[in-house]
Amino acid sequence: MFERRLYYHIDWALLIAVVALCALGVVMIFSTTSDPTRGTSHLYVTQLYAIALGLGAMLVTLTLDYRTFSDKSHLLYFALCGLLVYVMFFGTAQMGARRWIQLGVVNLQPSEFAKVGVALVLAKFFGEQRGSPGAAELAIAGGLTLIPVALIAKEPDLGTAVTLLPIFLAVAYLAGMRMRVLGIICLCAALAAPVAWKFALKDYQKSRISTFLDPSQDAKGAGYQQIQARITVGSGGLSGKGFQQGTQGQLRFLPVAHNDFIFSVLAEEQGFAGVLVALGLYLFVILRALQAATLAKDRLGSYLVLGVLASFTFQVIYNVTMSAGLAPVKGLTLPLMSYGGSSMIATLAGFGLVLNVRMRRFTN
Amino acid sequence: MSIEQRRLLTVRLTILQYVICVLFAVLAVSFWVIQVVQHQKFQEMAENNHQRTLGLRAPRGVVFDRNLKPLVQNRRSFSISIVREHSQDMNRAIRLVSSALGIDEGGIRATVERHRREPSYRPITIVQDATAAQVASVLARRLELPEIVIEQVPTRQYPESMAAHLFGYVGEVTDSQVNDQEGLKSGDIVGQSGIEKIYNSKLMGADGARRVVVNSVGREIRTLDEDQPIEGTRLQLTIDSEVQQAIEDGFDAIGLNGASVVLDPNNGDVLGLTSHPAYDPNTFAAGVDRATWASLNSDRDKPLTDRALQGRYSPGSTFKMAVALAGLEEGIITPDFHVYCPGHAVFYGQDFACWRKSRGGHGSVDLRTAIERSCDVYFYTVGNMLGVDRINKWATALGLGVKTGIDLPNELQGLVPSTEWKRQARKEKWYSGETISVAIGQGQVSVTPVSMAVYVSALANGGTRLTPHLLKAVDDGSGWKPASPPKQESKLAIDPDMMRAVRDGMWMAVNNPSGTGGAARIEGHDVAGKTGTSQVISNKGRQAAKGKTDRNLNDHGWFVFFAPRDNPEIAGVVFLEHGVHGGNAAMVVHHILDTFFAKKEGRPLPPKPVLKPNMNPSMG
Repeated sequence: MFERRLYYHIDWALLIAVVALCALGVVMIFSTTSDPTRGTSHLYVTQLYAIALGLGAMLVTLTLDYRTFSDKSHLLYFALCGLLVYVMFFGTAQMGARRWIQLGVVNLQPSEFAKVGVALVLAKFFGEQRGSPGAAELAIAGGLTLIPVALIAKEPDLGTAVTLLPIFLAVAYLAGMRMRVLGIICLCAALAAPVAWKFALKDYQKSRISTFLDPSQDAKGAGYQQIQARITVGSGGLSGKGFQQGTQGQLRFLPVAHNDFIFSVLAEEQGFAGVLVALGLYLFVILRALQAATLAKDRLGSYLVLGVLASFTFQVIYNVTMSAGLAPVKGLTLPLMSYGGSSMIATLAGFGLVLNVRMRRFTN
Repeated sequence: MSIEQRRLLTVRLTILQYVICVLFAVLAVSFWVIQVVQHQKFQEMAENNHQRTLGLRAPRGVVFDRNLKPLVQNRRSFSISIVREHSQDMNRAIRLVSSALGIDEGGIRATVERHRREPSYRPITIVQDATAAQVASVLARRLELPEIVIEQVPTRQYPESMAAHLFGYVGEVTDSQVNDQEGLKSGDIVGQSGIEKIYNSKLMGADGARRVVVNSVGREIRTLDEDQPIEGTRLQLTIDSEVQQAIEDGFDAIGLNGASVVLDPNNGDVLGLTSHPAYDPNTFAAGVDRATWASLNSDRDKPLTDRALQGRYSPGSTFKMAVALAGLEEGIITPDFHVYCPGHAVFYGQDFACWRKSRGGHGSVDLRTAIERSCDVYFYTVGNMLGVDRINKWATALGLGVKTGIDLPNELQGLVPSTEWKRQARKEKWYSGETISVAIGQGQVSVTPVSMAVYVSALANGGTRLTPHLLKAVDDGSGWKPASPPKQESKLAIDPDMMRAVRDGMWMAVNNPSGTGGAARIEGHDVAGKTGTSQVISNKGRQAAKGKTDRNLNDHGWFVFFAPRDNPEIAGVVFLEHGVHGGNAAMVVHHILDTFFAKKEGRPLPPKPVLKPNMNPSMG
């Protein structure tokens, strides 16, 4: 259990950077959603509650030894898969996707928690292996990853499903998977792409990708968001238009500005300066967490940290790229900053595990 | 953890660290490129996104009569426009608008097509001067039709059935006008005829603009700034609206087509000008529909033609004063020169009839009586003595056969023949026999009503050929400034005694019982005038064509006048198409003069007259 001396080993710098990003997110949500003509929106308050809940979850994932979690990770994993199956049949549908479980006033999005669950179960699985993982181990680990991926993709929420794959790749990589195997996996993915294009992708997904390659072909439809994103970012300039002075986000040229495109709004209102601050904070958080992985007492700890970090980093980089209109638009949020309770709670819980591993690097 | 494992872990984590640093550096550079290097471009795109510049049309200048009574004004109207930029599906939008407004889909499509090269945020007007029902119907479908905007614009309002050709009309600028004239842009409303056209640059004013912020569905959020439109220059015309109204009423009462121009013979001010049949310029003000336009164009009475400036007719006997003056001034005759009229005369082996042939001619007449009774034989004789070139010289000097230079568009030139003209135009020699017809204003002589008004003004003022003009003063917002009058065309040195003889003849034509223009007489005002008949077809031809054509073969009637005889204040002409003879035109003139003098003396204006034209051909 929590021993008093562990308190001194908490990585305060990481924690402060994480909270700073959350605060930046709240400010930007406030900026884009409060409309003086329509009365102030309370989305930022909801976000503050989510942060509070997330910090609570973090306290839980911090307090118990991470090995305790990994011991029970198979249970967590099955529970999450159960929830995902439940969502498929009984979830609340919004905008054509069944992703949420209604819990009174809150909507829970199990797919967000699946990231932590998969990180835990893969860390445990690879942590128990001796030496570099062979084909059989990789196949099992891959299977463990692909089950929730398939369930989430079925919702459909291809974006979130894809964020689970980096967890597998990163942990397997750290566990010593041969680079050749990694190459083969990447090659297979490249070869599978046309097949997926033909059979697996829905029309709206195809149109998103094809308009990414040439946004002007559909400037009003799917290409619209991408063009608007780039205009939003570009018009921000060096120092930005000022708090609540952005025209693109404020006048709703950019859809879901408080959610998927929160970083575009930041770039518009706070300019390149604001972008550098936010990117710096994210880079600091990632590098600091990587350091935790290096310092970890055991392989389990390293794998766990990297597993949590993998989906986080992937999502940050993808979302920021998309925010500038440089990647196809996908419903991928920016962890810590975008509006969204489940994502916030799951991400903070994940960082609880990162802090946990670093904090317990000296204990036995 | 073994050392080996620890090393693998550290190496692989370090690699990851570098990879992530590189990725973040790439991101930072990308943002730098977009936000700093390409900032200008995206800044403009963002502004285009959320800012709209909406044109505010300037009201055209108000047009007043000489007593500053407003004639052409502006009223507020609604126009319904379509903004392509707001549209996801133009076909659907056009279909919906068409059914909402109850107008033809093809027409809307053609309008949109015509403007397709303009920026897509600029509204394309599909209905001008929309009815309240149309506006309500569009407003009710606002949510389905985000591409529709309703603008309030000033629209021209003309007085009803008055001087349509004089005011002209406005319409959307044509492509060639945009190309030819500086400062015009597609979509502008410009004058297309009349005063509206000739003084368009004064009347137009400067359009304003309003910059507004709009959101992503095009709804206006707030106004950034506004440039108020500047109203066009106000024009004071020389027109006297009472005289103008009297002319219109006279034509209404007589029920014939034709034209009239009334001038102040002292300075060339146009007091009234009309052409009948007319059209309603108000139908053009709000964009004429195709059916109306087609019917105006195909109408056999040609309501769009301004007969006052573009109608060319033989002057008939009204030409005789020009021949008389030529004879007097060239020293060929004196006012006492007598000719015996037996009802016809033979020149160059050909018999020429006097109009009074059936009643045995006029007997022995001097110049005054010859004008009074319009004796043809007298002028055949004088014309023959003069020759065509001297007739041409004096008729031209008095303003016939040349353009008057009035400030209205598309004036046509009449013709007074000469040997030179015939040699050049027809490559033929002039035959002296042709002069005989010319001497009574027939044959090749053709004149426009407006040039007749200049001619009779010159007779009235003692020989000054004036340039008729409509613009009296302008006010561009800093008070009325008199417009500089056009310079006089020429002042003839005419012996006053000779002039008096001609004017006496004209006075007698109106005031003597045996005169031809008695209908124009007004007691105490010494009206002078002269009738004229312009043959549409020769008498033989009329017999031949009888029953074979539905064309009106009645002769045209003229009446030229001025009053009072000494120190005239008003001069002009009334021309009646197929009016049979000048006596009918004199009836219209009577009403015009009656109104003019009543107004001058402060008497109540005469009521709209009831006129019964005499359609029995008998006079000359």
